[in-house]
Amino acid sequence: VDRQSLLCYFCALTILIRYCNRDFDDEKILIQHQKAKHFKCHICHKKLYTGPGLAIHCMQVHKETIDAVPNAIPGRTDIELEIYGMEGIPEKDMDERRRLLEQKTQESQKKKQQDDSDEYDDDDSAASTSFQPQPVQPQQGYIPPMAQPGLPPVPGAPGMPPGIPPLMPGVPPLMPGMPPVMPGMPPGMMPMGGMMPPGPGIPPLMPGMPPGMPPPVPRPGIPPMTQAQAVSAPGILNRPPAPTATVPAPQPPVTKPLFPSAGQMGTPVTSSSTASSNSESLSASSKALFPSTAQAQAAVQGPVGTDFKPLNSTPATTTEPPKPTFPAYTQSTASTTSTTNSTAAKPAASITSKPATLTTTSATSKLIHPDEDISLEERRAQLPKYQRNLPRPGQAPIGNPPVGPIGGMMPPQPGIPQQQGMRPPMPPHGQYGGHHQGMPGYLPGAMPPYGQGPPMVPPYQGGPPRPPMGMRPPVMSQGGRY
Amino acid sequence: MSLFGTTSGFGTGGTSMFGSTTTDNHNPMKDIEVTSSPDDSIGCLSFSPPTLPGNFLIAGSWANDVRCWEVQDNGQTIPKAQQMHTGPVLDVCWSDDGSKVFTASCDKTAKMWDLNSNQAIQIAQHDAPVKTIHWIKAPNYSCVMTGSWDKTLKFWDTRSSNPMMVLQLPERCYCADVIYPMAVVATAERGLIVYQLENQPSEFRRIESPLKHQHRCVAIFKDKQNKPTGFALGSIEGRVAIHYINPPNPAKDNFTFKCHRSNGTNTSAPQDIYAVNGIAFHPVHGTLATVGSDGRFSFWDKDARTKLKTSEQLDQPISACCFNHNGNIFAYASSYDWSKVRIPRPALGAARQQSRALGWESIGLSCDSSPDSHHSFGQSPAHGKCPVSVSGHRLPCPWVQKDGQAGG
Repeated sequence: VDRQSLLCYFCALTILIRYCNRDFDDEKILIQHQKAKHFKCHICHKKLYTGPGLAIHCMQVHKETIDAVPNAIPGRTDIELEIYGMEGIPEKDMDERRRLLEQKTQESQKKKQQDDSDEYDDDDSAASTSFQPQPVQPQQGYIPPMAQPGLPPVPGAPGMPPGIPPLMPGVPPLMPGMPPVMPGMPPGMMPMGGMMPPGPGIPPLMPGMPPGMPPPVPRPGIPPMTQAQAVSAPGILNRPPAPTATVPAPQPPVTKPLFPSAGQMGTPVTSSSTASSNSESLSASSKALFPSTAQAQAAVQGPVGTDFKPLNSTPATTTEPPKPTFPAYTQSTASTTSTTNSTAAKPAASITSKPATLTTTSATSKLIHPDEDISLEERRAQLPKYQRNLPRPGQAPIGNPPVGPIGGMMPPQPGIPQQQGMRPPMPPHGQYGGHHQGMPGYLPGAMPPYGQGPPMVPPYQGGPPRPPMGMRPPVMSQGGRY
Repeated sequence: MSLFGTTSGFGTGGTSMFGSTTTDNHNPMKDIEVTSSPDDSIGCLSFSPPTLPGNFLIAGSWANDVRCWEVQDNGQTIPKAQQMHTGPVLDVCWSDDGSKVFTASCDKTAKMWDLNSNQAIQIAQHDAPVKTIHWIKAPNYSCVMTGSWDKTLKFWDTRSSNPMMVLQLPERCYCADVIYPMAVVATAERGLIVYQLENQPSEFRRIESPLKHQHRCVAIFKDKQNKPTGFALGSIEGRVAIHYINPPNPAKDNFTFKCHRSNGTNTSAPQDIYAVNGIAFHPVHGTLATVGSDGRFSFWDKDARTKLKTSEQLDQPISACCFNHNGNIFAYASSYDWSKVRIPRPALGAARQQSRALGWESIGLSCDSSPDSHHSFGQSPAHGKCPVSVSGHRLPCPWVQKDGQAGG
């Protein structure tokens, strides 16, 4: 049975969750706990998402200042820390916890030999009682269970879940081989591939492991990977040591280029999953804007819908995203879903083929927009009022069969007022999709820059008589747009 | 010499179209109105870059023209020049040195307007109206990027009639924004693509839309190091999505917020939801402005996730908006955007008349010479980020309208 345990930074309450071979977002429960216990406004009982969020709310709405996180243990009451679930925990606290963790795992190592979940239970309960400021549940081989701040549950980390379960069985054999210094060697680290040894002294600990196997992450010596959530462990970064040094800095200067290697940009999917996980694991301020792979995209939680549920169901992000809590954002789920679901004829989670019209009216809301699902400008441009001056090589919208002769070759209407010195562009008959070579310039009285002089005006196609104005609308409606 | 046809200031010309000037909501914010506004809806606005001394505003309209005004510090606007296309102008932009203006039009072309010589030449060609145009200035190249309803994104060296590059879009281009080295294009069917522009433009990522409705406008924002880091995307459903390209915690960092809606949700009447017609980011503070079909503009702080201010409701939708290069001036265009017209096919004539009856098109400017004199609404935090002065009496210039009287 797999297990995760999370630690609440503020009250050191340990939450144990079991899960069996399924992706489970246990951080959700931790977050619910934090919201209810630590981020709840004592005046109006509104639940916020972070400490600073609560502070701002009280200031704005109640004109009150808060100086401590409610229900927090001494030493953990700083309201300025932006902590959310397991993320945002300061470095020094992570260090403390890691140290404690080592001790704990040393003990539980021996017990672990006998195996079984009951063992875990005993360990946990024993551990919880013996913990004072930093209760940490030494889950064998689970870094996340170690509740290390900054080390979110491995399964929860983006891009990692697939690797975790298979490695669970591998844990027990691993443990005996590990010296006590290797607490919380997360089996989940394995699939990471390319784990970087955190520092000297680690390599000896990795006999028989795949090369580059995760070093003992919880080691105090290992610089914490900052408060970055996505970082399961410092070792996850499979990047040269240099960045490691830079990572711990809370606000490292932006060192990465926006596009690490422009040459690679063209290939959206590169094989370097390492690079992607790098980018994912970097802390906020040092991230490059455009790391070099689409893995980054896959790992990055997909865009969130109006309810902040990711529109695509990535395994990692079943975390319920925070609904905006500020007054400006009215977000009762009911009203949100009712308006959005009713006004869109498309399902939220995927871009399926949509009908050509929108559902613009519902019981609770009305979309002030024409029914057709085209942009306002397109709609407007269809009006005869705006068609008069336009050249008309072909009427059909791209992809549709050409409307054909209707208005096909629209000769310049004699009635069109000609601007001084300008002529309407009359490119040679528009093959659809073809690039027009002729681009008559507009320099009055001068040769157009591209050497196409007045003779460029294509001959009037003659052809079918131009339908009278009044008839055009129905014609256009058949043809659609252009 | 008047370039624009109407010789008088807007005051007399405008008020004659409305019965009573005291109750009209034409300029409830008492902002400065630009003189000699175009005769039809304004589709796009753009202020000159910082390389030009002073502020010049370019507006493209559905009357096929592109107009240029100089905006002085006291708010006075001076019409400067005008160019024409043969179709409505959908987008305008400046070159980085402020010497050229690029215009994109329904006539499927884009032009480069040299302001010094007041000549405009065609520099681009598409198979359908050109909806977006942006100037790209990279260390190793410069070009114009045009997005069109022909589902292509083309890059033009203005000296050649062949595009430097043509990228296919999944659908018709609806809006785009460029801040080197990043470009974002939003298309029909809720397509969303990010491009990186280093070395040469290439598609970086296709993003699944954070919005459930038709995309309408997009604007890139920068991080504290002044590098583009994400974008704001607006839809027709009164909602804006803030999306970071590489956030540490996408579920938490990316969000959407509702805007441009009427009648709070607790009334019995159905809520009216309006399209977001434009988004602009303040170049200094990073706050964003949205303008909508409901005829209001709002300022928001995306980091604090608060609304800073909402204007009073204008009588027409606001179709475009723009900040000047230092953020002291915010320009918005109030003109009908056809959001309320249902056009049954045979009745197009009636619709046309309706648009005229709805009034004239105008561009309002909110400018504030002293950044401190802001006016915050509601629950906005007092952090002094809003540069716009709303109350008319704060503005020192003589152009402020009071009680519908002509300014000056």
